Amino acid sequence: MAHRWGMAIDLDRCTGCEACVVACHAENNIPISTPEQAATGRTTHWLRVDRYYEGDFPDVKVKYMPVLCQQCDEAPCEPVCPTYATYHNPEGLNVQVYNRCVGTFYCANNCPYTVRYFNWFDPVWPEPMQLQHNPDVAVRMAGVMEKCTFCIQRIKRGKDESAASGQELADGDIQPACVQGCPAEAMVFGDLNDPESKVSRMAESSRATRLLEELGTKPKVFYLERGR
Amino acid sequence: MSDSGVYKFIRGRLPRPCAIHASAARALAFLLVLTGALSLSAADQPIAYSHKKHIAMGLQCIDCHSMADIGPAATIPSVAKCMLCHATFGTDKPEVKKIAEYAAKGREIPWQRVYGFEKQALVKFNHAPHVRAKVECATCHGDMTQADTAQKLVNHNMGTCLTCHRQKGASQDCATCHY
Repeated sequence: MAHRWGMAIDLDRCTGCEACVVACHAENNIPISTPEQAATGRTTHWLRVDRYYEGDFPDVKVKYMPVLCQQCDEAPCEPVCPTYATYHNPEGLNVQVYNRCVGTFYCANNCPYTVRYFNWFDPVWPEPMQLQHNPDVAVRMAGVMEKCTFCIQRIKRGKDESAASGQELADGDIQPACVQGCPAEAMVFGDLNDPESKVSRMAESSRATRLLEELGTKPKVFYLERGR
Repeated sequence: MSDSGVYKFIRGRLPRPCAIHASAARALAFLLVLTGALSLSAADQPIAYSHKKHIAMGLQCIDCHSMADIGPAATIPSVAKCMLCHATFGTDKPEVKKIAEYAAKGREIPWQRVYGFEKQALVKFNHAPHVRAKVECATCHGDMTQADTAQKLVNHNMGTCLTCHRQKGASQDCATCHY
């Protein structure tokens, strides 16, 4: 059976440490944004940690929520792309093809989660960080849109290793960088088509919600609400 | 600037026919240089290595390009691998002496890569799945049993890849190769 990749994030476990953000930047050759870029709204983070404050000082509670591409089944970004640069692949991933992208920005405008990022310029890294690029991931050029890929290079590698060894992929064999980096194990990645996988069981939890579900985007990232 | 000013500005910039010819000629010259750079000749390699001779001796592709069946890159053998045989075989030949020189200096032979995708193609090619799918080396690299020089015998573009992927029922998903 074909895979259908999904993620579950337990907000009870998330401490907002941003280890996932750092792991994502290192894995996916994401440039490091400068304060100037932040001021003009041109930062790039495929994964960001949103903060929500509850209550008034000094009785403040902070809620953290890692937000990445939700890999929607009914992705609003896809039908608006005039060049088919973003499309659904057979494994349910919302794929961005950099070669096809002409930078119309329609997809980013249509994304309710604002997780798409545009390369306004060719990316630069402070020396010597340009030497630690991941060779399995493209370094995107100016003029193209980019976003979280669920670490498609790791999915490819996992499937390749399974084909080479003849062993079937087990649950947890493939981990995106953010999942691997999470010290609290708040993030879980796996196959939603496998009812026994950890992510499927978490998705059926009574705490499970999806972000802006009412829009009908059918996201494949499940958030487990904080216990009350 | 008024409207007529813009018009004048544009009119002043229109290239005259002879100028078009000159730029076309420059583009043509550039293309010639480019194609010349793409098709490596034997003279560009540091050593006049003959695939034909080595394959006739019974060597298989995988004996030297040893990562082809297990990794993304087939890899070019190190000078140490050449010396496994050439420490004793053909030591009096001038080209073999060059290898021994590199080995004595502890330096690798600066082979020029013949195949490879352009950087902007953003292709992540992996040899191993192709070898597992029993695609012959010659399908993509031509008949090296008759090749005296290391040169590009088969031109690779997305058409050649996709034709084969269609025939064999392999994935045609963009994200199979581009990510």
